[in-house]
Amino acid sequence: MTAAVMRSPRYIDIEITSRCNLRCTYCSHFTSAADVEEDIPFFEWRQFFEELGRAGIMRVVFSGGEPFARHDFLDLLIDLKRHPIRFAILSNGTLIDNKIAQFLQKSGRLDYIQISLDGADAETHDSFRGKGSFDKAVKGIQALQEVGLTPVVRVTIHRKNYLQLKSIARFILEELRLPSFSTNSASHMGLCRRHASITQLTPPEYAAAMEIMLEISDLFPGQVNATAGPLADGYTWRAMEEARWGRITPPAGGGYLSGCRGPFETLAVRADGMLIPCQQLSHLPLGRINRDPLLTIWRNHPTLSLLRNRQHIPLATFSFCRDCPYLSSCTGNCPATAYTHFGEINHPSPEGCLFLFLKKGGHLPERWNRLHG
Amino acid sequence: MIYLKANANLVLREEFDDWAVLFDPDTGHTYALNPVAVIVWKHLTGTNSEEDIIRIVAKEVESLPPEAKEQISSFLTALQTLNLVENVEREKP
Repeated sequence: MTAAVMRSPRYIDIEITSRCNLRCTYCSHFTSAADVEEDIPFFEWRQFFEELGRAGIMRVVFSGGEPFARHDFLDLLIDLKRHPIRFAILSNGTLIDNKIAQFLQKSGRLDYIQISLDGADAETHDSFRGKGSFDKAVKGIQALQEVGLTPVVRVTIHRKNYLQLKSIARFILEELRLPSFSTNSASHMGLCRRHASITQLTPPEYAAAMEIMLEISDLFPGQVNATAGPLADGYTWRAMEEARWGRITPPAGGGYLSGCRGPFETLAVRADGMLIPCQQLSHLPLGRINRDPLLTIWRNHPTLSLLRNRQHIPLATFSFCRDCPYLSSCTGNCPATAYTHFGEINHPSPEGCLFLFLKKGGHLPERWNRLHG
Repeated sequence: MIYLKANANLVLREEFDDWAVLFDPDTGHTYALNPVAVIVWKHLTGTNSEEDIIRIVAKEVESLPPEAKEQISSFLTALQTLNLVENVEREKP
């Protein structure tokens, strides 16, 4: 059975600029196909926003690069407000000052602003993000707080900060007094591919990070949003282990390449105006804004059909999955990291693979040991 | 005569199987509408009264259950409470 496709995407991710004032060692943008020479000009975005308004898009998520590195970004937000669309921003926080914070507070359409913070101190945060970026990011967060906004802080977990996650959690929740934070982990995309050995956690380190994140969840109940990274994978893997032993029913879509819902809900646009299925699949251009109608692409583009039909491809057909005892509850994970590892989107990804994690020395947290057998 | 008019700031996002999401871009609130509610919403043009809308729905929906009239009425009241619909008072044409 094919899942229904909405008449238009709910959200659009826009890389409003390819430029950034930082060069984070594990950045997924630079050296990817989204790392383009030229940003399209204001008037092109203005025209595209009109199309988004007509299509009933509910939210635009601006990222980059660094959105605030674009000199006319605030003017673009003012223009967006002419349409019934809300917005969110993914930022490194370093360019946010009081003026920007006040502007965002008064915009009335901001759903959330996410700021990256990878350490409780400059040494840890700056190790992969560059000297001075910690102080500036913290100032950016505080500027937002001073006007009554609550930024969403995202910690990217990597080899130089995973052992400090508790102090990072204390810093965010107790010193900065933010209500919660979320995590992800350095993923094999963009610059991270070149620096995988120094940034990406090994399976034993990933296991340790999972244990630490569970302890943080105990210390700060309800304040850790496990949407990605070790804790999110841990919860998924615990469910897979329980399904393996028949304690719960495998999830819908288990046993097939069904792990990505993106093509059913969103589209993305590169800074050069090329429409793509997702920021992480920037090598798959679907058309160009203001030349190719958004809704025609959404409903009819063969690449989107291909991505939506991945869910019918059984994992059992891949030699990668041979002998895996978790097949019936696995969804094959992210097509983008499948592509960066194997050059193929119709393939399971090794990132998020429980079988591989265990084979390479990882283990589930001690407290879940009763799950085995 | 009182006619009902939808708040023009709201967006009706028709998604699939005749279901829709009603979206308020100023608050970010969303409301799921079933296919009958979608018909109701589309006729909140300021030229239909509650009775008109119930009549329209009865015409457009096959085998409408007897309790539908009451449910549509409650739905309209809920919309008014949430300021998603306003009353327009004028002479009957």
